[in-house]
Amino acid sequence: MSTMLKITDLHATVAGKEILKGLNLELEAGEIHAIMGPNGAGKSTLGYILAGREGYEVTQGEVMFNGKNLLEMEPEERACEGVFLAFQYPVEIPGVNNTYFLRAALNAQRKYRGEEALDSVGFLRLVREKLEILHIGDELLHRAVNEGFSGGEKKRNEIFQMAVLEPTLAILDETDSGLDIDALKTVAEGVNRLRSKDRGMIVVTHYQRLLDYIIPDKVHVLADGRLVATGGADLALKLEEQGYAWLEDGGIATLDVDSATETANP
Amino acid sequence: MSDFSTQLASALPEDLGSGPEWVKTLRQGGVQNFRAHGLPTRKDEAWKYTGLGAMGQNGVQLATGSRSLVSEVSNPKPLAESGCQVDMLDGQYLEQIGNPQPGLTVLPLADALQQGIAGLQNLLESLPGPASGAGSSFGFSALNTATLESGVVVHVAAGTDAGRLSLTWSTRGTDAPLLFNSRVCLILEPGATLELVEQFESLDDNANGSNIVMQANVEENAVLHHVRFQQESEKAALITRTEVTQQADSEYTYYGFDLGGGLVRHDVHTYLLGSGAKSGINGAYLLDGNRHVDNHAKVDHMAPGGLSDQYFRGVAGGSGRAVFNTAVCVHPGADETEARQSNANILLSARAVVHTKPELEIYADEVIASHGATVGQLDELAVFYLRSRGLNEQEARQLLTTAFCQSVSDRLADPVLGGVISQRMMDVMPHAG
Repeated sequence: MSTMLKITDLHATVAGKEILKGLNLELEAGEIHAIMGPNGAGKSTLGYILAGREGYEVTQGEVMFNGKNLLEMEPEERACEGVFLAFQYPVEIPGVNNTYFLRAALNAQRKYRGEEALDSVGFLRLVREKLEILHIGDELLHRAVNEGFSGGEKKRNEIFQMAVLEPTLAILDETDSGLDIDALKTVAEGVNRLRSKDRGMIVVTHYQRLLDYIIPDKVHVLADGRLVATGGADLALKLEEQGYAWLEDGGIATLDVDSATETANP
Repeated sequence: MSDFSTQLASALPEDLGSGPEWVKTLRQGGVQNFRAHGLPTRKDEAWKYTGLGAMGQNGVQLATGSRSLVSEVSNPKPLAESGCQVDMLDGQYLEQIGNPQPGLTVLPLADALQQGIAGLQNLLESLPGPASGAGSSFGFSALNTATLESGVVVHVAAGTDAGRLSLTWSTRGTDAPLLFNSRVCLILEPGATLELVEQFESLDDNANGSNIVMQANVEENAVLHHVRFQQESEKAALITRTEVTQQADSEYTYYGFDLGGGLVRHDVHTYLLGSGAKSGINGAYLLDGNRHVDNHAKVDHMAPGGLSDQYFRGVAGGSGRAVFNTAVCVHPGADETEARQSNANILLSARAVVHTKPELEIYADEVIASHGATVGQLDELAVFYLRSRGLNEQEARQLLTTAFCQSVSDRLADPVLGGVISQRMMDVMPHAG
């Protein structure tokens, strides 16, 4: 295994306010890492920084992705290099057909990689194959991107896009938020089917619930702009029981999790 | 009166032309009205943002008498298949291609005036003009009536579904640009259905002007779908006025697409005279360069239970200027009317300008009315969303602006026609800057 993503001492500001304050993370191909933490810790900011959203300014540190400096790339270059952000709030794009959009995106990525564009027949074949893998129907295909979708439909559509675009690194930003248990299961099953030894995933979540279905290799706690603890899947359970109060009451030791250690911060 | 108006007025022929006496009387009224009022000026509220200076500066002259119909260039290919097509050249009836099906009559206006078509005289005499108190703002109508000769008359017999009729308009350049006047009369008897697809394209890069008045009478339960697509040359002027009277439970839907033209003005005015009538007035305009497009849509609800839906989308780049005015008047007694007005615009450049104004007057009870007008930029989060999937910035912006206008072509019942128009819009989509 090799290091796919290496984030070193990442500091970032949004509208002049420092949100990330020295974040370190290493992810290897094939791994799923969960990032948990209280509201306002910087979880969504991390996703946007990795995807390249404007207005999120990196003031210090670096992010290497498969040996390349991710922060120097435009958002579309990152996508073409294999980075995929599943949005917490997928954007509604009235008038743009979901299938048309996804084919345009896939072909943009294929062009970047020097591959032939897929024609509509080839694309539909691929789409059907992915729908089957994910066990989802084709009712979302003919609608405008996310327009009028329910919360569950929007999240399923993100996972569907991920299945078609086959990213190397997927960041799932609170993909569980706003989902009922059935929708959560569908989405989690989709994610599990996309697990592969070549793909890394970062699952950002506020609650442990999603991690009942997507078992992470590592769980990190993000608080106040830094990773403050790292552990195995059991850390998530402990967080569910005890919340985040320990952050202020004496640190990780009070949590009593075998696998967890305090993360060294520079 | 402007010099341009004076020049046009003096070019009006003294001879009132051929045809029945009532037609000559109409023309005479038009001449008198035009000489008295001239063309609209910016002092007319309805023309505040649209000046006609460019036409005068281009040296546009009034086209009079009949002109040669020999053309080396053929009219543009219709946007979509139709059973019957009429080509208009320089405002005149050129030819008819294909055979109208039983129940559909299509005639050059001059022939129809000679033959007499049921309801035609009433229709022609009902056109509002300057005499109805609106002064010079109806100047183009007066000029059109003064020169009444060229045009088309379409009659659909009761209960007939006449399918699609294509009407293609083109003009060709001459030494001096000309102003062509033409009239379209549509008579739909009770229960008749017609889809009219009008298409305006200049044959060359000319600075001609067209002043086209359409009058439609849509009887009970009749349905008229009216598509107007224009991609005129960047110097051309296109002035159209569409006046529609609707009887009970009739339906009129208009879909306007403005992709070209230097100076464009459309007035679309429907009168819901019978109960339960529906008017849908939709449009998309795409502007860049120095182009100017002005849409005025008005619905008069005169009877109860009517529905009107005005839906316009505009994209302006370069130094393009768009004017949009939508007015709904719910008259006393037009209870339980529903009226919707929506106009949204995207500005792609700092020099582009949009004037948008919804107007709503209600004098009846139990009325549901909504209106909204917005002018804004593209949603940057949507741009980022598309880029995060691999589209570059220009592709993302192009896709969003096209989609914005496509929401109008998506309203067409025929997805094939909608697709053709959508592609044409994508081809001319203005860029930022």
